[in-house]
Amino acid sequence: MALPLPPGLTQAEVAFVAEMELVTIVPRQRLESIDLLSGKTPVLRPPHRAELPLWLALLLKKQRRANIVPPSWLHPASLTEIILRETKENPAAFSPPPPPPSRAHPREPGRARRLAESDANLSPPFQPSCTAEAPAGYLPYHWLEVAEALLAHAGDDMPVPAGEVRSLLRDLVEVRAAKMRSSTSQLEGFGGGLMSLRGVGAMELAESRGFVLGVVDGVRKIGASAEATRREEEELGGGRNDDDDESDDDMGI
Amino acid sequence: MDIGDILRDVDPVFHSIPREKRDLQDLTRAWVAERSAPELLHWPSDGLFERINDNIKRQIEKVEEMTGDMDPKTNFALIVIQTELERFKYLVRSYLRARIAKIDRHTLHYLSSDELRSRLSEMELAYATRHQALLHNHYLSSFLSSFPPGLQNLNDTAGNISMIDTPDLESAVFIRLLSDTSVEGRGVDSDGAMEMEESDIVILRWSDAKPLVQLGNAELV
Repeated sequence: MALPLPPGLTQAEVAFVAEMELVTIVPRQRLESIDLLSGKTPVLRPPHRAELPLWLALLLKKQRRANIVPPSWLHPASLTEIILRETKENPAAFSPPPPPPSRAHPREPGRARRLAESDANLSPPFQPSCTAEAPAGYLPYHWLEVAEALLAHAGDDMPVPAGEVRSLLRDLVEVRAAKMRSSTSQLEGFGGGLMSLRGVGAMELAESRGFVLGVVDGVRKIGASAEATRREEEELGGGRNDDDDESDDDMGI
Repeated sequence: MDIGDILRDVDPVFHSIPREKRDLQDLTRAWVAERSAPELLHWPSDGLFERINDNIKRQIEKVEEMTGDMDPKTNFALIVIQTELERFKYLVRSYLRARIAKIDRHTLHYLSSDELRSRLSEMELAYATRHQALLHNHYLSSFLSSFPPGLQNLNDTAGNISMIDTPDLESAVFIRLLSDTSVEGRGVDSDGAMEMEESDIVILRWSDAKPLVQLGNAELV
């Protein structure tokens, strides 16, 4: 009965969460509002766009009741820009996450409501980061899962042939996987107790979670006694032990 | 009165997010946190689960009523409702099972103090107590009773070593910041502190992350 899984979401669970992302659809049939547990769905009237969670949008798409409008960050121009940024402009870091919606449209007062939503501490997958209005040039947290789902089930709704988008995505996945791997060399010296992975995606985290956390916990256990000594010394005299630490490191290598 | 009520009073726009959507966000967040944290977290005190369970029951009754209706339009709505129902049930089930796994692993630890007991819901407390009693009786009848009386305890702390296993609170976790704030982390060689921005993802020890998560400045991912 108890859940036998290790801590941290698995890939399947991440995909489940990603299906809650809101996407924009263009209905092909009328559909009255449905009273769901997560609130009433909007009344669908072609050709008015509506925002629905991905799982429902995929269901409507499979029954040919709607078309899905791909988010603007999934357009080839935006993907190319992101790849360029990830490889040339800032080859060390992941490209930044989308800005909170309030800051994305500073000149459009009509978006004031969005600002309120981000203030109420909504986080992915409940921020509207995969809808048609989401800013181009930023990868949202669930980028890979949403992109794969849209390519697999709504490939014909892409503005360009799905193969082109798919090959750009492949490039991006590889560039970022290389960064994830090289970030582990930082882990080796995980002395500072903090490491930022700004802009990383949910699936990328799920894939390397076991390894990364294993390394961090392993380093902590190996260094436990050294850490305890350092803390004692700091309590006694403060920062006098810098030299000792360095010589310890040298010996370790 | 919780923080949500206070916010709603002072900020009318907060109201624009319907309660159902906020509940789903809270449920998802609680589930992800429970799946990622090394120790058992507090059972939500604002009646979140009672509310969600009531809604699920009501929705099941509605499905039963609608199944009699053979009109194709209701039929499609029925499929959508059932799909969503299954998604909710999965979330609730996975959340409860993740908690039971932690309670099973460290039963005596979570029963050992009032502070720890208060993290469990009534049902979980009843489960943990009864389960532990059964287990203890079983041990007694099968082997413990043939030990000398002084060695029969399951919670000895002799020699400064406690028999009660505790979760490793220093395990590393991933968190996402929900507001700009400064984060401090303890490390092996040195301690770090950084100014971080909203939606940054950080690796640090759970004991350092816990205060941030409890204040609502960060969530586990």
